[in-house]
Amino acid sequence: MKQHEKVGIRDYTSIVILMMGTKATENTPSAFYNDVQSAAWMIPLISAGFFLIPLFLLLKTFSVFQGKDLFVVVKKLLGKYIGFFVLLYLFIISSLAVSFDTRMYSDIIHSFYFRRTPLVVVYIIFLLVCVYGAKKGIQHIGSVSYIMVWYIIFSFVLAMILSIMDSNIRSIYPILGSGIPDIIKSSIPGTTLFADLVLLTVLLSSMSSFKDFAKGTWIAFILTAIHISAAAFIFICLFDRSLGGLGYPFHTAIRYFSFGNFLTNVETLFFPIWLMAAFIRFAALLYICTKLFAHIFHIKEAGYLIPALATIYLLTGMIPETPLDVALVFKAKIRLIAGPTFAAISLLLWTVALLKGEFNYAKHKKGM
Amino acid sequence: MQNIKRVCKLLIIISIICSLTGCWDREELEENAYVIGLGIDHSKLKGKIKVTMLIANPEVGSVQGGGGSTEKPREIISFDANDFIAAKATANSVISRDISYELLKVIIVSEEFAKDPNFLPIITSTLKDKEIRLDSYLAVCKEKASEYFLKNHPRMETRPHKYFQFMIDNGINNGLIPDSTLFRYFSALDRGTDLFMAMYTTTEIEKSSNFKGEDHYAAGQLNVSGELDKTQFSGSAVFKNGVMVDKLDGLDTRLINILDDTTDIQDVLVNVPDPFSESDNQLAARVTKTNNNKITMNLNGVRPKIEITIPLTLTIMSNPSMVNYAKDPEKKNFLKEFIVKDTTALFEKIQEKTQTELKGSPYPLSLYARKHFKTNKEFERFNWAKAYPKADVTIKPDIVIEDFGIQKKVLNNKED
Repeated sequence: MKQHEKVGIRDYTSIVILMMGTKATENTPSAFYNDVQSAAWMIPLISAGFFLIPLFLLLKTFSVFQGKDLFVVVKKLLGKYIGFFVLLYLFIISSLAVSFDTRMYSDIIHSFYFRRTPLVVVYIIFLLVCVYGAKKGIQHIGSVSYIMVWYIIFSFVLAMILSIMDSNIRSIYPILGSGIPDIIKSSIPGTTLFADLVLLTVLLSSMSSFKDFAKGTWIAFILTAIHISAAAFIFICLFDRSLGGLGYPFHTAIRYFSFGNFLTNVETLFFPIWLMAAFIRFAALLYICTKLFAHIFHIKEAGYLIPALATIYLLTGMIPETPLDVALVFKAKIRLIAGPTFAAISLLLWTVALLKGEFNYAKHKKGM
Repeated sequence: MQNIKRVCKLLIIISIICSLTGCWDREELEENAYVIGLGIDHSKLKGKIKVTMLIANPEVGSVQGGGGSTEKPREIISFDANDFIAAKATANSVISRDISYELLKVIIVSEEFAKDPNFLPIITSTLKDKEIRLDSYLAVCKEKASEYFLKNHPRMETRPHKYFQFMIDNGINNGLIPDSTLFRYFSALDRGTDLFMAMYTTTEIEKSSNFKGEDHYAAGQLNVSGELDKTQFSGSAVFKNGVMVDKLDGLDTRLINILDDTTDIQDVLVNVPDPFSESDNQLAARVTKTNNNKITMNLNGVRPKIEITIPLTLTIMSNPSMVNYAKDPEKKNFLKEFIVKDTTALFEKIQEKTQTELKGSPYPLSLYARKHFKTNKEFERFNWAKAYPKADVTIKPDIVIEDFGIQKKVLNNKED
């Protein structure tokens, strides 16, 4: 994994958009709907509001250490031992998230498109592609995601427009769903939508500059919050009460509508593009997880780790017996803790930096 | 060294090509039997259903075939089964090809079975089979579904999928049958507050059917003769909580389709009594609905007050009493007022029927009520299903007559 080139803002932003935006196409909208019914579209926005402060503080902390990545910052602020545990925690949570998420994506492919192919085969092929992408390095992932991001956004917007044609805006009422307390309660674990942003600081050392990183993060953060909220809104309008019972509303929707009588079964058009987004997402996550692992255990040749880690993810991903277990038991637990704890870690980093006087030091340096 | 690398890369690419066949999911048109229509009936055996499959032959009718194929366009089989998912495997003992529901267009249920509470668990299994698309239509037939498919012999459209598609699309466009996709069935079921209408069809023609208005027929009542297929689509079956409870004729279905903003009716041709005619003649008119209905609700009192304004545009297409509207603006107004009165009466009649007989609104009216509640709990406490039959509903057609037809010709005829 020799790296000479750096990732620019353009590539970085598209990676982040694809990483977080694909969440609208899996079970996230229906999970929100089950929590708060017709107010599900508010959760991404309110969660974004909750996550705003930790993210702002996280970026502020990193701005002091111009261009240094998560490892350096954690080591400097928390020391060797606490830092080790914090990084290990990040690694374990994100690994579990990756393995259950990849399992969920394989489930989607298996149950909607390749019904007769054994799940394991689908899963293995899916991970193989991701491993290949991750091994190519973040620069390649970045340029591929920039090439693809426009097509993916276009196809998603098209799918949404087609859904709007069949939907009824009145399904959005009663506007508060199951009530304000429930919305707030579900919005706290909802921050998991943006938890990836904390992990992405691992990439800082391969970024062209910190300014690009901060700017890209903000752009992607705002865009994905709106994107997931809009997707949830449209799915509520389309499916109404049935949304709660659907596992994967996006895939049910693209199987439902058609371009008039002439062009039916249009899911074959959306499926490959969605698949590309999924590949990019997991290739990037796999890359980040490997980097974390390699740093924690001081492994120099991280490139060889990728297939090994992917195999472990495959094995843990196969633990849940049915797709239902994945969505309701395993993934739900990760969703519950990942967001809040990742936010807590960013707060912790900022507090320590404040107490240690890093901000004063940086100001001094600038002043001189 | 470089050569070895190149060969390795080539080998990898070649091995990747093999996966393009789709592994286990390789499918060939030739090897599949596509079920276009699925019939569900009561079985003589207890707890079982009788499944009828209408299977299309993909070889017939395609332009590329050049008319060379002498095979029949369809095949129909009926047998007893537990459900229609496992029935696919059973059917393979008769049908040589692999049965697929991928192109299923219509599910036809006999009226008798649709009224059975067992219908609900059977039809819900369509959600479980990912091959069945939610835009397939649900229809109810008067006779047994197995007989229905046998008697259905379209003359012009021998390919069954085209026949059902055209028949249903046109029926929905002119409002005589409801847009009853499985998607709408399940969303009405999940909402739990409204009724659902499925299209009504039959191949049995009633012997004693008299002439009625152009749209007062339910399927099977229109007395047609000639060289034709006897299948008729008209009217609707009303479902409450997923089980059929009642049926409506073509006129009622049409009125409800006009009240329902979620379906699009396009080309409704109607007859309106001509107020100037002495011998009960009728005007032909084309009705178009340009905008959505305006619905205002006041749900605070004991009897909820609902006001529905329906914007309709009429084009008069015939003039049996030969009145010259161009010369006489008062007659224009008189005609308009007459039509408003006539349509209001029609709507009020069907409205009363939904409140007293059906005890529920056959279109998603409850969606408009939801706006008045902040949370779901409040809405559930209000209990729409109970409140609706008590509601005080007024319907106001807001009619614009766009065109009175050509006046000049009539004028000339009269002066001759």
